[in-house]
Amino acid sequence: MRAIGYSTAAVLVLVGLYLALGGASYAPAKVADPCAPRSWRSPQGFEAVAEQIVLSALDGAACQLHVSREDMVLALANPDSRQQFVREHNISNAELESLVHTGLTRSIDDAQNAGALNATLAGILRGVVGNLPIDELLNLLQRLRGL
Amino acid sequence: MQPLGSRNRIALLGLSVGLVLADSSVVTLALPKILVQFDVEVSTLAWALISFNLALALAAVPAAALARRRPVGVFGVSTVVFAAASLACAFSPTFGVLVGLRAVQGVAGAAVVVAALDLLSEATGADASAARIWALAGIVGASVGPAIGGILTQLFGWESIFVLQAPVALVGLLALRGVQARPVPEPAERPQIAANAALLLVSGALVAALFLLVILLINGWRLAPLAAGLVVTIMPLAAIAATRLARGISPLWTRAASGAILISGGLAALAWLPHAGVVWTILPQIAIGAGLGLALSALTQRALAGRSGQAVHGGWTIAARHAGIVLGLLLLTPIFTSDLNRNEHEALAAGTAAVLDSRISPLDKIGVARDVLVAVDRATAEGRIPDVRAVVDHRDDSAYADLGNALQDQLDRAVTNAFSRSFLVSALLSLLALIPIVLGRKEVGI
Repeated sequence: MRAIGYSTAAVLVLVGLYLALGGASYAPAKVADPCAPRSWRSPQGFEAVAEQIVLSALDGAACQLHVSREDMVLALANPDSRQQFVREHNISNAELESLVHTGLTRSIDDAQNAGALNATLAGILRGVVGNLPIDELLNLLQRLRGL
Repeated sequence: MQPLGSRNRIALLGLSVGLVLADSSVVTLALPKILVQFDVEVSTLAWALISFNLALALAAVPAAALARRRPVGVFGVSTVVFAAASLACAFSPTFGVLVGLRAVQGVAGAAVVVAALDLLSEATGADASAARIWALAGIVGASVGPAIGGILTQLFGWESIFVLQAPVALVGLLALRGVQARPVPEPAERPQIAANAALLLVSGALVAALFLLVILLINGWRLAPLAAGLVVTIMPLAAIAATRLARGISPLWTRAASGAILISGGLAALAWLPHAGVVWTILPQIAIGAGLGLALSALTQRALAGRSGQAVHGGWTIAARHAGIVLGLLLLTPIFTSDLNRNEHEALAAGTAAVLDSRISPLDKIGVARDVLVAVDRATAEGRIPDVRAVVDHRDDSAYADLGNALQDQLDRAVTNAFSRSFLVSALLSLLALIPIVLGRKEVGI
């Protein structure tokens, strides 16, 4: 019977140690709730303003579709992933584009209200966002990096 | 021809038993290569293991009934068939043929193992010694299988495993030199149900240790097969050490129970690894190896103790062990593949969050996210885990280095966590083995 006692004790110490070191929570990080309010961080420079506008827009669209912001990014990564996303969520491409555009326009308004964008730049951005498809918007953002 | 000395005969018979039982796990490290070569799904790939173990389980008892009447003939013929099937496996043109040949190996292997037990009784002059040697050879064979398979796969390709098996199997035939024919023994008693049921459950649990751990090391943490083979050598070493120490533990049922508890705890620790990395697997492997040495030796001894017709009862233990492996494979494969798919999505989302929250230039994030996704898609198509750090960490910028580390961390977490539930289910199987062990503690009075 002593062997059983020793084995049980050894196992309890081993498993207890691994659990104490975080073994039960060693998993991919949980993504944030897109519907939870995120504070506007007073970004410095155009790049940072553009980033917050895009992230905020993705949060809005993701919240409406009950997915994560990261799922939205993955969906918009390429045409194949977008087709898969619209199939899985039973929406059309046009509805997806509309959600993102609406989110972007609202984010630009928020940025202007927070003083991160002046009225002229906000107006230009609204025009660009309102007239370009998502793919071209993403390509434009990447090209801006090269300037 | 000179008759063989009993020590040499015992060694050769032990070699044959170890070789056949190593075959149940020897191709584990070769599975990724087989998957790519034959272009099959992961769930289909498991049949390279299932077919061998299922055939072994089904053939063991009928083969034993035959072997106790003609042990020499059965051992000789089945060894030749096993060697031929092994060689043919190396040259399989399709996955279906490989699965079929593995089944032939299983049937022939069952006959080799049970006939060897009968011949060991002759060589040692005592059933108890024969049972001990036979059990030890089986434990060592099953636990060194992945290591040997990994080393051969990396050095010479997966086919070399089967090519090498053939001549080694034929060497075992030397054990037949000078063996005297015996009269037909009396009918065998009924099998020891409790010990065999416990063997089935413990063997099912060991599937995770002998198969899934190896897949985690190679496919998950991207260790080379040779390195992974060396890492999992810890288990057979611990098993051998435990088997040597085990003789002082009595009664047998307490030894079996201690083993089952150690296996269960080791598997639970693997399920709750606090971090990805080989070093974290060492203590769980020692626990599992020691448990394997204690439980399998004790349960096999219990199943064979005081039974007439030892080969038949050996057949029952082989049937129980390999039915357990099949049970484990059938139970764990769907859990594991489903968790892998779920965690693939979670890893992508967590990786995307890492990119979005990183300190790299905001406008670079889209490009980096796309680069990572391309790398993930390419790796998925090739059946491997992507090297995400290499995709990102190519610029002389600490922000990119941090992002590379963050992505690698999320990937490690996802991969490691994907194995968690399977290890826990296996741990549960080992704990369930305590029920027949405790219930059957009075069946054999030793």
